[in-house]
Amino acid sequence: MPFHLYFLRRLLFVIPTLFGITFFAFLIANAVPADPINANLPQSALNDPEIIAAFRQKWGLDKPPHEQYLTYLGNLLQGDLGTSIKTRKPVADDIGRFLPATFELATFGIIFGILMGVGFGTISAVWRNSLADYLVRGFALIGVSFPVFLLALIGLQVLYAQLGLVAGPGRLGVRVSEPPVVTGWMTIDSILAGQWTTLGDALSHLILPSLILGSYVSGMIARVTRSSLLEVLGMDYIRTARSKGLSERVVIRRHGLSNALIPVVTVIGLSYGNLLSGAVLTESIFAWPGIGRYMFRASTSQDFPAIMGVSILIAAIYIGVNFFVDILYYFLDPRIRLA
Amino acid sequence: MTPVSDSRSARFNLGLRWLRRNVLVAVGAVVVAFWLVIAPLAPVIAPFNPLQQNVRERLQPPGEIHRFGTDELGRDMFSRVLYGARITIPAGIAVIVVGSSLGVIIGAVAGYVGGRWDEILMRIAELFMAFPTIILAMAITAALGPDIRNAILALVIVWWPTYARVTRGLVLEVKSKEYVEGARAVGAPGTYILFRTILPNCISTAIVVATLDIGSAILTFAGLSFLGLGPDPSSPEWGRMVSIGIDFFDQWWMWLYPGLAIASLVMAFNFIGDGLRDILDPRLRKR
Repeated sequence: MPFHLYFLRRLLFVIPTLFGITFFAFLIANAVPADPINANLPQSALNDPEIIAAFRQKWGLDKPPHEQYLTYLGNLLQGDLGTSIKTRKPVADDIGRFLPATFELATFGIIFGILMGVGFGTISAVWRNSLADYLVRGFALIGVSFPVFLLALIGLQVLYAQLGLVAGPGRLGVRVSEPPVVTGWMTIDSILAGQWTTLGDALSHLILPSLILGSYVSGMIARVTRSSLLEVLGMDYIRTARSKGLSERVVIRRHGLSNALIPVVTVIGLSYGNLLSGAVLTESIFAWPGIGRYMFRASTSQDFPAIMGVSILIAAIYIGVNFFVDILYYFLDPRIRLA
Repeated sequence: MTPVSDSRSARFNLGLRWLRRNVLVAVGAVVVAFWLVIAPLAPVIAPFNPLQQNVRERLQPPGEIHRFGTDELGRDMFSRVLYGARITIPAGIAVIVVGSSLGVIIGAVAGYVGGRWDEILMRIAELFMAFPTIILAMAITAALGPDIRNAILALVIVWWPTYARVTRGLVLEVKSKEYVEGARAVGAPGTYILFRTILPNCISTAIVVATLDIGSAILTFAGLSFLGLGPDPSSPEWGRMVSIGIDFFDQWWMWLYPGLAIASLVMAFNFIGDGLRDILDPRLRKR
């Protein structure tokens, strides 16, 4: 199948889902609360008939439900997610400001997650049923059982407060000068500005939260890597590779892992959702100025528009990442190309 | 990198596997039983009233009187952690029982009726699965208004699709069996065939999935209440206690003990689930 056809076909699957989540978000935002006006406007505005009328007008609340949905969709397409009750600013602006920090954290997190997950999964499969295998699986089991916020607190207490190995909460130390904002990524911005001390400090702040997020998702990746690799290692072509005298290292790397990684890629896409949820639960602990902390603050202060805005965004990112994974399949799995 | 082959280490590895299957399940069962006993007995065992404030004794480190220390209002952490079992365990079980029942029924109907209904129900299920679990649960709880009942309701709404999917697949498989055809041939009505003939043959898988799932339901519930979307702040709920503890980072006892309570319970359920999967799934057993 040529690439553009494959791409279009996958895209056709994504569009209804995107509509679905907006419809769903619309239902939650408008049909579930007893009174959407009450839920979306700050207390102080509830006595002001003008503000209420303007709100009704903007979201089409006096029109029939299907028109309300279309109004909602129209506002959404213009990037209007409503106004945060707490910050009094448009939710979209808030998110725009906080998103780069979360992306930076999530990217480092998923890199650690993949390294640990694929590494441990491979060890576990190659030395199957050995002590190493049981240790890896035991750690994975413990890892998925610990609430990620507890891991974060313990990590911070031990590695930062007790041992002083890493920097504490926040993205930068107090005395470090912030680089001019270009991408919003502290690491990239400080490289662009040539501020190497800032880069070092940013990395030192980044390592612990991204390690925690990485270990949070690595359990699932390790489990799938293990079972997928075990399946592949039982195949005839592995026996062939061994019998023609290839070293075990080459057999596992070239013939085993490269074939076993296809399901692993799917799971990496799926665990991106976990990663974003994990970010919501840990950013507040690390005082990380991303959308997770924004969502945490929104939910502890009943900032309904902000909660809905971040939920839609995260669902959209999640769908986007999985779309990307589908596209990646095309290049990883020759069977799709040749089909 | 050669696979283990000599008999002594093979026996050692077999022993490891036996240990894993039996000891993990046993440890898990003991810990779960421990918490199941603690929950109803908390009022008898707890040395203090978990809601009783005592400002003069606030932020005490663990000591003889307050074994787990006290919190920012001088409440006894040990008593609060014990009482926490009375909230989290029933909440987790409620989510699983209601969520899985709902999912099994929806999935069974979809698989049995087939056609357009199948299509519609499964599309809806997929939509629910398009959101990361805790994010969707957060949005729903926030819309309903945060309290414990709404948190459980939100989790049920998030939880059913997995079961619907699994059950649908099983029903499709069982539907074509001879005994189902037999029931139809003797003129049994559709609902009878579905609920009496097909479903009993699918239910054991759903139960296994549910057992594997309790841990993650408890974890998600704790996450919701960590975010302030569960029971009200004063109630001794584990996730909530941890989130209050963030502001008292140096008073580690305020977040460590309730956090470990969550971890121990979830880990115990996961141990049981992992062992069960090992025993029940022969495809995995071979590996």
